[in-house]
This record gives sequence, structure tokens and C-alpha cells, in this order.
Amino acid sequence: MRLRRYVLLRVLQFVPVTLVVIVLNFLLIHLAPGDISLLLAGENADPAYLALVREKFGLDKPFLEQLWRYLVQVASGDLGLSFRSRQPVLGEILEKVPATLLLVGTSLLLSVAIGTWVGTWIARRPGSTLDSAVSFGAVALFSVPVFWFGLMLILLFTVEIPILPAMGMTSLDGPRSGIGYVLDIARHMVLPVAALMTVSVGQYVRLARTSVADVLGEHFITTVRAIGFPERTVLQHYALRNALLPVVTVLGLQLGLVLTGAVLTETVFSWPGLGRMIYEAILARDTPVIMGAFIVMSLTVALASLVTDLVYAALDPRVAL
Amino acid sequence: MRQVLRRPAIALSALVLVFALAVALAAPWLPLPDPTAMAASPYEPPGAAHWLGTDNFGRDILSRLVWGTRLALMVAIVSSLISSLLGIVLGSLSGYFGGWIDGIASRAFDVFLLIPTFFLVLLIVALFGSGIQYTMVAIALTTWPRSARIMRSQVLTLKSRTYVQAALSAGASHPWVLARHIVPNGLAPIVTDGTILMGLAILTEAGLSFLGLGDQNATSWGRMIFEGQRHLRLAPWMSIFPGLALLILVAALNLLGDGLNQALNPQLQRQSLRAKRREPVDRPSPQAAAAPILEVRDLRMEYRLEAATIRAVDGVSFALPAGGSLGIVGESGCGKSSMGAALLQVMAPNAAITGGDVVFAGRPILSEGHPVRIDGQEAIRTIRWTRLSTIFQSAINALNPVMTVQQQLVEAYLLHRPEAGRTAALARIGELFDVIGIPRRRMASYPHELSGGMRQRVMIALSLLHEPELVIADEPTTALDVLIQDQILGEIDELRRRLGLALILITHDMGIVAETCERVAVMYAGEIVELAPVERIFERPGHPYTQALIASLPTVSGPRRVLSALPGEPFVPTGTIAGCRFAPRCRMAADICRETVPPRVITGEGHEVLCHFAEASR
Repeated sequence: MRLRRYVLLRVLQFVPVTLVVIVLNFLLIHLAPGDISLLLAGENADPAYLALVREKFGLDKPFLEQLWRYLVQVASGDLGLSFRSRQPVLGEILEKVPATLLLVGTSLLLSVAIGTWVGTWIARRPGSTLDSAVSFGAVALFSVPVFWFGLMLILLFTVEIPILPAMGMTSLDGPRSGIGYVLDIARHMVLPVAALMTVSVGQYVRLARTSVADVLGEHFITTVRAIGFPERTVLQHYALRNALLPVVTVLGLQLGLVLTGAVLTETVFSWPGLGRMIYEAILARDTPVIMGAFIVMSLTVALASLVTDLVYAALDPRVAL
Repeated sequence: MRQVLRRPAIALSALVLVFALAVALAAPWLPLPDPTAMAASPYEPPGAAHWLGTDNFGRDILSRLVWGTRLALMVAIVSSLISSLLGIVLGSLSGYFGGWIDGIASRAFDVFLLIPTFFLVLLIVALFGSGIQYTMVAIALTTWPRSARIMRSQVLTLKSRTYVQAALSAGASHPWVLARHIVPNGLAPIVTDGTILMGLAILTEAGLSFLGLGDQNATSWGRMIFEGQRHLRLAPWMSIFPGLALLILVAALNLLGDGLNQALNPQLQRQSLRAKRREPVDRPSPQAAAAPILEVRDLRMEYRLEAATIRAVDGVSFALPAGGSLGIVGESGCGKSSMGAALLQVMAPNAAITGGDVVFAGRPILSEGHPVRIDGQEAIRTIRWTRLSTIFQSAINALNPVMTVQQQLVEAYLLHRPEAGRTAALARIGELFDVIGIPRRRMASYPHELSGGMRQRVMIALSLLHEPELVIADEPTTALDVLIQDQILGEIDELRRRLGLALILITHDMGIVAETCERVAVMYAGEIVELAPVERIFERPGHPYTQALIASLPTVSGPRRVLSALPGEPFVPTGTIAGCRFAPRCRMAADICRETVPPRVITGEGHEVLCHFAEASR
């Protein structure tokens, strides 16, 4: 019962985020220089379409009524039409989600797994040379501009030693079904995933290191060591289990940075996902798509934070429910 | 400051930043070609004329790199300044005034923090145009909640400080107090975070320029990579060098922030100190169990600290007969808990045993400071928790917070008796819960769901799990209120007699020892200064320190007299020590006490005192 209340309360907190994002979006269009209808319909729009957009957004109505119309529109899932394709923005975005999800999901999973493993490994000897070296490397890793790193990977593995593809998600002449198709996509994923991982893997190394080192300093670890558990069990069963909680929390907070990295990575590798779509929208000044992407990305991050909070609550018995 | 610079990471990154700043400021006077001049031949690889080569328009890359430093640093400084200023103002107002203002403001911080910087910047630049000023403002507008949150929590802790309250009661106005007394003292973490913010700003601008949304007129590293991308095969140097510059500058900022954070946060530092442990030595398996359950000779243990090495246990010797009980008493910091940890050989990373022998029931477990190995296995591991266990102080920390009590006990049971099985383990735990008086249904609770007294009882159950012969109880009741304290001590005493186990009780309270123990060892500055049967020590305390401890006990007739009995600070045993460690606080101290180390004097049957003035028994 209390769990249900907590979930409900936390879900309700989602509402102000949504409101702020939409209102911000609305204010920005109105503050922007130039004619709003041109921003929304495109500079080369024909008069009929321009009139349609004016009517839809109520641009001749008072300011607050426009805001209300906009809120209702967005809330009902209408993010406007892309002025290049004249298709609903939401549909265009949803169409691209699987490709981005594949890229972001894979790189996040690998980052968490590798980062936690390395972080736990060095946490056993905080202050050692190995620890300093790995920590230094971790900071360097998340200082790498992801798009540049992508280019360097292409330079190395496509130009110098041509072993991996650098463009797109599938080969033009590749198989279209079965295990061959999966392997083809996997081959295309190697470089973009590696590039995108630089955004987060260093963070997870550091996070896991600090978190595990903290837990190792706690009294209950002394207890389990005194009881006689082998060091391996102490580390993997007790310390890591407790240390994973902060790692879970950051997963949600990290998503904003990872999505940013995804846009840049997809641009470099011509990956047919959201990032590539946003890049093309920018080139074409397709404002409705950029606005829609902003709303969708913000809400995704907010949703991720919501989900991590709920997962945290489920994992940690100390969170009073 | 000097200490901060001594960290190599900080020094190195500071050097990089100073260099970048110097290059940026000196750019117009450096002997470099105009960064926009298309003077040289295009696609020239790095060489003598153009150190880093030229781009597709024949512009000198080194020169463009140098001018790009100006832009990167400007973006970093301006946007993090605006962001920090916004954060400081809003965060300190929210923290200082509290109430509904804080309620709304901190919710707003949380909401804005969720908005992904890059996408908002993207939108702003797409709508307003790609001027560098828009980029900087947009970065500031999405990052300020970071500083605001930090400032808010700083103000929350600072506003209750005495000097702030004093200024307020002296009639100072709120804005004055906030600006003069609170904000300046809370700035350190903002500055630290500011360096990381600067790195973020540089990367954001570069990413934007890479997407072609940067300022068209500016020389930006991101834009250089954007242009280089198309010529990656033909002229890789076009993209390699600006990327390296980005990496080095951003890494320097991040490392600086990281290093400052560690330097300002002593807790992170302490972890890094480690003491060198001695290698184990092999000994043959002993034949028969000897009479005393525990024999300790000249045990020594040290803590390595930044400035010094503290000899927390400095030559301690005693013996404990099977089934006997010994109280170890002293102020906090006297080394009593360290001695318990050394006996169990579970110590903090910066602690190491440096000498002494320990024999448990005829079995050597420590030899000249080296852990003993018998038949290839460390002797302490073969007895710890099965024959020698411990009750840690503050059970709330000594139990794993995310596992139920039952899980922890079952795992500890099965570790040493894997063949017994879960049912047997549960049966044994149920039995123990009956003994220590916790209802069996509470087994499935998490530690935080139990009361302090119950947690301590669970800790006792954990220590008794394998029917040990000796239990070391380290302040088992300190965290509890007096009634529960008496109850639990009574239970420990009762258990000891019933199960015939030996007990070492570590405490700061002479009264507890009087009720529970047969013999008493009084510790001061790492040494046992007096060792005697319990009746005798209360009748004829031989050491002035013992006398002071006894005098500080509450009596039925009078009030507690802690302070009057013993002024001064405890002695910290470090370096070479001449004379008696207690002399600075001793009311009897004479010249000899300050010059000569006191002898160990036998003053009676089983009674020894470490004092120049102790009278030897004839």
C-alpha cells in the first residue's frame, strides 16, 4: 500500500518536468527572432500551409491561449509536422527510436559492466599506482570529445586497417534476414558503440571505485572479513552488492550525456537513429523536428530518473516505503 | 596551497591551464600566420614550414589551434561564470530563507537539472542563430542548477554557525550576513565544480560546432574537426590536432576539479594510506592444547598517518585462562580497540602489526609480528569465528544494511559448516535467538528495522554462532541506553558462565568491568599500565591513572566527577618516547617520571603496575 503511494507520488513529480519542458519550448519560439509561422512551417512553405499552421497554433490568438493550445497539442502527442516531409514529428521520432536504443543500450550495458568490473578491481587498493593510473585514464576518457574519438576510430579501423565498417547500420549488399543480418548489424555497431562508450565508461569506473572503496571501509565489511569469508566473496558478494546502488542511481542521471553523445556519434557514423535525424533537421532548419526532439529527449531523461528512483527504492530496503 | 600543488595531477593540470591561458592571451603577438589567411598550399602535411600542416584552404593549423584556444577558454570562463553566479544567488537565497521559498526553489533546481544541456543548446541555437553569445548563455542556462544545489547545501550548514548567528544578533542585515559571512565560506566546492563545468562547456561548444551550429566567424576547435571530417582520408592531421587539443584542455580541467575535490575532502585522502603488512611465517602444527586460552607477548601495532606513525598498541602482554574474563579499560584512543583488532588480525588498511607473539590454546597465531601459517593455512583463519569471535561495537554499522539478519547469520553459519545445510543453520539461529531473547519471527528483519538493543543481541548471536571458546567484546553496549546496557551485560555474563567461554571485554567504563570481569587491564597510550584482579584494583589501585579512572566513577553519594579527576589530553605514542607517558597528566609526576621509562613492578599476587612509585611486594 505504501509502495503504491510512493510510486504514485514519484510519478506525479513527472508532471512539473513535463510542464517546464513544454513551456520552455513555447517561450523559446516566441522569443526567437523572426516570424513564428515561418519557424514552424519552414521558410519555403506555400501560403496555404502557412495559413494552416497559423490556424493550428492559434497565432492570431492571445498569448496565453496560444500556450494553452500548445500544451494541449503536445499532451495529446501532437508535436507538429516536419516541414520537409509533412509527416507528424512524433511518428518520425518513434521510427528512429529502435536504432538509437540499440546503440545507446548496448554502449550503456557494456559501460556499466566493464566500468563496474574495473572500478571494483582497483577499489581493493585505493591509492596504489594502478589505482592512480586507472583513475587518471578514466578522467581522460570522459574528457574525450566523442565525435573526434569516432573519427579517430574510423581513421584507424576503416582507413588504415580496413577491418570494420564506418557507415550506417547495415551493408548495402548484406543479408536482410537471419543470423547473417544480425552479424552484419553487430559488425556495424562495433565502432559507434566503442565511441559512445567513452562518454560513460570512465564515469562508471570512477563511480564503482569510489562506491566499492567506501563500502569496503564500512564496519560490516570488517565483520564479514572477521567471520572468515574469502576476500573474493567479500568483494563480489558483499561489497559490490551494496556498492551497486549508487551505480544504479547514476544510470538515470547519465542518460542526458549519453544521448548527447549518441547524437554526435550517429552523425559521425551515419547511424540511422534519432541523432542522425536531429542533425539532418538542423541542416534543413526543420524547427518542429528539433523542438520535438528536445521534448522527447528531456522526457526520456526525466523518465529514466523516475525509473532509477523506483528501482533504487525496490533494491534498498532502507528506503522507507 | 603548497600541499595542493604537490599532488602531481593538480600540478600537471594547472601547468596545462596556465600554458593554454598564456597561449590564448599571447596569440596576436605570436609569430604565426593569420589563422584565416589562405596563404599556403592546401593539404600540406605537418612539416618544417607548417608544424601541424595546413587545411583544405591552405590555412595554417597551428595558428588556427592557437586562436581556437582563445575561443575555448572564453566559452569555458564566460559560461561557467554566468552559470555559477546564477547558481550562487539562487542557491544561497533558497538555502538561507528556507521554508516555502526553498521548497519551490529546490524543486525547480531538480526539474531544470533533468533538462539535457545539449538538446536545449541545440534548440536555442537553431532558433536564435549560431552566435557564440547564444551558445554561452544557453550553456549557462542549463547548468546553473548544479551550482545552485551545491550552494544551497553549503548555506544550509553554514547558516547555523556561531559567527553567523553572532553577526545576526549584533544587528547585521540578512543580505549583509549572506554576502559577507556565508557565501564566501561556501564557495570552495563551487570553484571545484566550476572547473568541471568549464570542461563541459568546452565540449558542448565543440559538439555544437561539429554539427555545424557553431559561430561561423570564430576559429573553433570543434569547427576545425567538422571541416576535417570531410578530408579525413586525405588530410587526417586536420582533425587529429584540434581533437588532441580539446582532449588535453578538458582533461586538465577535469583532473584539476577532481584533484581539488580530493584535496578539499580529507575523507577521500585517508583511504589512500596503507601500511605494509608482514609476510606470514610457517610453523608446525602444535601437539596438545596448553592451559591458557590466550597468551599475548609484547604485541605491537601501528597506524600510518600522513604526518606520523602512531604506535597504538605498544608492547602489550597478558594471559587469559580458559573460561576466564578480562576487562580492558582506558579512554578512547588508548589503543584498547586496536588491540582487539590486532588479536583478531582484522585491521584498518593503514594499520599493521609490527611485533609480538599470540598463542591461542597452544596454537601460535602470531609470531614476532608475522601471521603464523600452519599446514599452508593462516592459523588465524582456522580459529577466527569458530573458536575466537568478536562482538563489534555499534551493531548498526557492523551488520550489512541491505541483507536480512537471517541471511547474514545463515551465510556465516554455512561458511564454516557447509555440510550442515540450511535447515540446520536455521535451527541453530533459532536456538540462539531464544538464548539471547529475540522473538524468532524477527529473524527476517533488516538491521534498521530492529531496535538498538536487538541489533546488539543479533551481533552477540552472530559471535556465538559456532560456540567459540573466546569472545572479544569491543564496547558491546556503548551505543545503548543505560537500562539496555545493564540487561545486555548481564546476558553476556550469564552466557559466559553457562557456556564456559572466555571473555575479553573492551570498555571505557570501570563500572562495567567491576560487574563483569575477573581481571582488569588498564591501558594508557598503547601500554597496559596496570593489570590486576578486579577486587584488588578497586581496593588498592597502584597506578595514578587507574586511581583517576576509579575516582571518575559515579558514586551513590556524590555526582559524577569526570573532569576534576583527570585534566589534560591523552598522550599520543609516536616517535621515541623518554619517560612515563602519563607524566604530563599525573599529579604525582616527578623529574624521574619525565626522564626514565617506568619499570613494570609486581605489587602483589597477579598485580603489576607500570609506575616509578609503585611499591613492589616483598
